[in-house]
Amino acid sequence: MFIQTLVTGLAIGGIYALMAVGYSLVFSILNFSNFAYGSIIMLGAYIGYYVLMHMGVPLALSVLISIVGAALLCFANERLAYSTLRKRNASSLYFMISAMGTSIFLENLVYATIGSRFYAFPEVLTQQNVSFGGVSLGLLDVFAIVFSAVAIYGLHYFLQNSKTGIAIRAASYDMQVCQLNGVNVNKVIGWVFLLAGALAGISGMFLGMKYMVYPTMGWITNKAYIAAVIGGLGSLPGAVVGGLILGVLETFVSAYVSSVVRDVFSFSLLVILLLVLPTGLFGKFLEEKV
Amino acid sequence: MLEVSNLNVKYGQIHALRDVSLSVQPGRIVAVIGANGAGKSTLMMTLAGLLAPASGKITYDGKPLPAKAYDVLGEGICLVPERRRLYANLTVRENLLMGAFLRNDKDGVQADLEKMYTLFPILRERLKQYAGTLSGGEQQMVAIARGLMSRPKLLLLDEPSLGLAPLLVESVFRTVREIKAQGTTILLAEQNAFQALEMADDAFVLETGRVLLTGTGSDLIADPLVRKAYLGIKG
Repeated sequence: MFIQTLVTGLAIGGIYALMAVGYSLVFSILNFSNFAYGSIIMLGAYIGYYVLMHMGVPLALSVLISIVGAALLCFANERLAYSTLRKRNASSLYFMISAMGTSIFLENLVYATIGSRFYAFPEVLTQQNVSFGGVSLGLLDVFAIVFSAVAIYGLHYFLQNSKTGIAIRAASYDMQVCQLNGVNVNKVIGWVFLLAGALAGISGMFLGMKYMVYPTMGWITNKAYIAAVIGGLGSLPGAVVGGLILGVLETFVSAYVSSVVRDVFSFSLLVILLLVLPTGLFGKFLEEKV
Repeated sequence: MLEVSNLNVKYGQIHALRDVSLSVQPGRIVAVIGANGAGKSTLMMTLAGLLAPASGKITYDGKPLPAKAYDVLGEGICLVPERRRLYANLTVRENLLMGAFLRNDKDGVQADLEKMYTLFPILRERLKQYAGTLSGGEQQMVAIARGLMSRPKLLLLDEPSLGLAPLLVESVFRTVREIKAQGTTILLAEQNAFQALEMADDAFVLETGRVLLTGTGSDLIADPLVRKAYLGIKG
């Protein structure tokens, strides 16, 4: 029981971590909470579900299509809703309002065109178990852990070693100087949204398979937001650690206390943490030296 | 090399530069001196493409200056901004690599990194440290080195001596001379008027957004007005 709960917790934590990293990526560069991110995750899940169930595309390819689709949608979201605000040097409040608007728009667009039905992936894919040394684990959970680990490590490697990755980190600190170094900041921001969107595609697929696909499924990003805050907004390692902590704690609370208090627990954790550690576990403490 | 004529720049309501005209000849150190708020940084940021002029012309090598900062760098004009503005979250090495962002010659970049370690030996020891953990003097060295990594033809230095101990100021100015000796033209904005004028081939005095005086560095050191207002020497 303990190990199963832990694995389920890590799987959920891994998905939270993916979403929190996507959130944090955008936050670190544009300094606002991208509330439209949940809708991109939702659309990623719909895309994956559609190509798998209605076009007979194999699962692995469906995941890939969902990743690419969500990445492009996230990119389009930035170009259509945020880039004009950027050009006008709008404050982050306006970005946030625009993001909320986008989110409501996309959700209602799905209601109006596809409908409010809940769609479930076939049980053959979602309910399989594997056993490890006598402990039976959900195959989906194992996959979620492996996938999020690979995706997050891949992103980390890209940010640390590639030229574009270093430029993204540089731009997250000082966009103006980045331009002085010859960086087309517009392109860098485009990359950030593509990457965040790709993570949204993976998490959308896993969330859809673990729970269901429905128009408001994106609200689960509230949890990713909590995870990002626990870790320290804008910090990528923080987002990962925050996601895992939240996922594991939540699952243990559901399993050993009651699933009813799960969300009460998560949000209480957020409030208490903000009181005790306002900048999160890995918050930025970088000062300019004069 | 660089020609500025009748340049006007506005920050919202503030008219920061008024009809500024100046020219920078290749191979020289040109100093812009002036008090706080005279418009030195505005001039530097406009020349680097970060601010758009309200009117006036800037030509570089006979062509108009590109509108985007990253294209300006592509033309060979590089600004080392005021207060160094290093990427505190990046290591020293990554900061230097960012300076070479537009370059694709890996070997050349590596060779230039080595050159920077010769110019600033302390950097070699600091390579893996986060730039935010360096002292002010070290940060200035990284900032200049980062600028040089783009192999600029014209280096714009905005207040490189700001906040540094006198000994470090000396060393920064020595570096500026070395950079010039290696063939890079330099436009230097400084509050530290005496040392800047001493080193400069040509100089301008900027006051409340206008060019007040123009001359060679030694002309301006001898100018009674400059001596009184900027060098604090009476009579």
